[in-house]
Amino acid sequence: MLLLALRNLTRRPLRNALTLSGLAVAVAVLACLSAFGQGYRSQLGSELDRMGMQVMLVPLGCPYDAAARVLKGKTLDNSLPASALTLAQHDPAVAVAAPLLMVALPRPSEGRTDMWVGLDRAALPLKPWWRMKSHVTPGSNWFPSDDSVILGAEAAVTEAREPGDKFYSPETGQTLRVAGVLERSGTSDDSLFFVPLATAQKMFHQPGRLTAIALRLRDPALISEATTRLQRIPGAQVVTLTEMMGTFLNLVGSVRTLLLAIAVLAVTISTLSVFNTLLAAVVERTGEFSIMRALGASRSQVFGLITIESLLLTGLGSACGMGLAAGLGYGFENIVKQWVPFAPSGSLLSLTSSVMLRCILISFGVGIGASLYPAWQASRLHPADAVKMD
Amino acid sequence: MPSPPKPSQTSPSLPVVEAVELTKIYHRGREEVRALNAATFRIERGEFVAVVGPSGAGKSTLLNLLGCMDAPTSGTLRITGQEVQGLSDQQRTRLRREQIGFVFQHFGLMPTLTVAENIALPTLFARRRLAQRVDELLEQVALSHRRNHRPHELSGGEMQRVAIARALVNNPQMLLADEPTGNLDTATGDTIISLFQQLHQAGLTVVVVTHNTPLASATQRQLTLRDGRVD
Repeated sequence: MLLLALRNLTRRPLRNALTLSGLAVAVAVLACLSAFGQGYRSQLGSELDRMGMQVMLVPLGCPYDAAARVLKGKTLDNSLPASALTLAQHDPAVAVAAPLLMVALPRPSEGRTDMWVGLDRAALPLKPWWRMKSHVTPGSNWFPSDDSVILGAEAAVTEAREPGDKFYSPETGQTLRVAGVLERSGTSDDSLFFVPLATAQKMFHQPGRLTAIALRLRDPALISEATTRLQRIPGAQVVTLTEMMGTFLNLVGSVRTLLLAIAVLAVTISTLSVFNTLLAAVVERTGEFSIMRALGASRSQVFGLITIESLLLTGLGSACGMGLAAGLGYGFENIVKQWVPFAPSGSLLSLTSSVMLRCILISFGVGIGASLYPAWQASRLHPADAVKMD
Repeated sequence: MPSPPKPSQTSPSLPVVEAVELTKIYHRGREEVRALNAATFRIERGEFVAVVGPSGAGKSTLLNLLGCMDAPTSGTLRITGQEVQGLSDQQRTRLRREQIGFVFQHFGLMPTLTVAENIALPTLFARRRLAQRVDELLEQVALSHRRNHRPHELSGGEMQRVAIARALVNNPQMLLADEPTGNLDTATGDTIISLFQQLHQAGLTVVVVTHNTPLASATQRQLTLRDGRVD
């Protein structure tokens, strides 16, 4: 029966190829969407986990935009008052308060904008992934002097600098010495330029200014009471990472809903396409089905034959769709990344076996659903029609 | 010469077909068409019978009833001893599959299957695997060299021989042929007639519906239908 079904599919190669292509695209969209959703949630969770902090103090304004900018190493237009750090450090629930200054330095001649981050030692516990690839003082992971700079892995490649090299910044007129180069972490740190906080404030003429303060609590259970207290710091607002993750997932959820609507549309169109192909095949082969019935095929065998043909078509379409998702998924990821508010570093496309299985099951569901009516039609054909055909 | 088919187990004394007052009425709008009118006849085991008659006499209706493809309106029809009226579609399908082989005027071969696969098709529906039987039949109809060819690569005579082999693959009690030479030239038709005669001589019951005089003359007996009645 399988052979018969397979041979029947080769009968109208162009029509079946078009149906199969439509189905493959629908499955690919569905697979990419599911893979992206799963990958985004998991990457976002792991990226926020790796921050090693639970709370962030940012200047007044949109807290989530501010937090997202800080997390992605982007600059903010306003700043925190210097008193905010002292108040945060004295809060009984705060274990670590790491002040940060972030400045965007446009470099028109290079066609890019460099991001500089000023930080002090308090930031180290919050960056457990900080590993030096190389350092002027082996074993150290900090700035040996105030005129030192530590480069992210990508930044070092772009600047073609190694530890010990001089680094002149024409925009600030500052000459620094490269103290170390970070190992690639897959985070936004890879493209950043790190300097001591005081150096950054001096370099960029922003004495006492802070962009954000990252906070680690003594006990995560204290987050509620700590937040209430920290909210009272003038000129600052508190964002918890849990809230941020929820907000990002909600925002991404809207994008996902849009994409899901597209995927549902694609799947519906491909279901109708499979339905149309099968119905046309049944109409074309009315005589053959009557002959099969005359030769002893039962109604269920004819019904089964059409269903098998449909499942073969959708199975093949699903396999092509998976190939398409694997091949073009990263392009899709790049497009979708532009629409989401906080795209974690690394690949967000998680084409796991569960995603693939879900898509295959949906595709087989499409196959069975689309075949029901044509198969029923074929199975109702009368064997006596085989004689009438003559 | 074809080897004798190995018919399914039924009592040798029973006629293959026994029809008593067999009637089939169709309704065309309000009009009642009595396609078969109280036809009574028997076809004994091993007979070679031609069903003849003018167009509209009821030949196709009779063929449908004999082939268990339709149910009579009234009367009794026994195929290999089994009463057909009152059988469900599933039971009629089983009877058709196990006891009857069909040969159609337009051959009815599946274009996507090879000769061997076409012959084996009824075994697929019967859930049997009879590869050796297919080989035997290919040899009997002298088409072993064509086993992997598709129908469109065959001549009319070859296609009809494939159709005959397919009709025999499940070892039926009766071979029913509808105008088997209707689409063939005279010489090829003669070959097919000769093949039917060989099958009859080998013990198979053969019933042909035909307008072809040489074919009708080659049979043992003719059942003439006129206005739905058997003369």
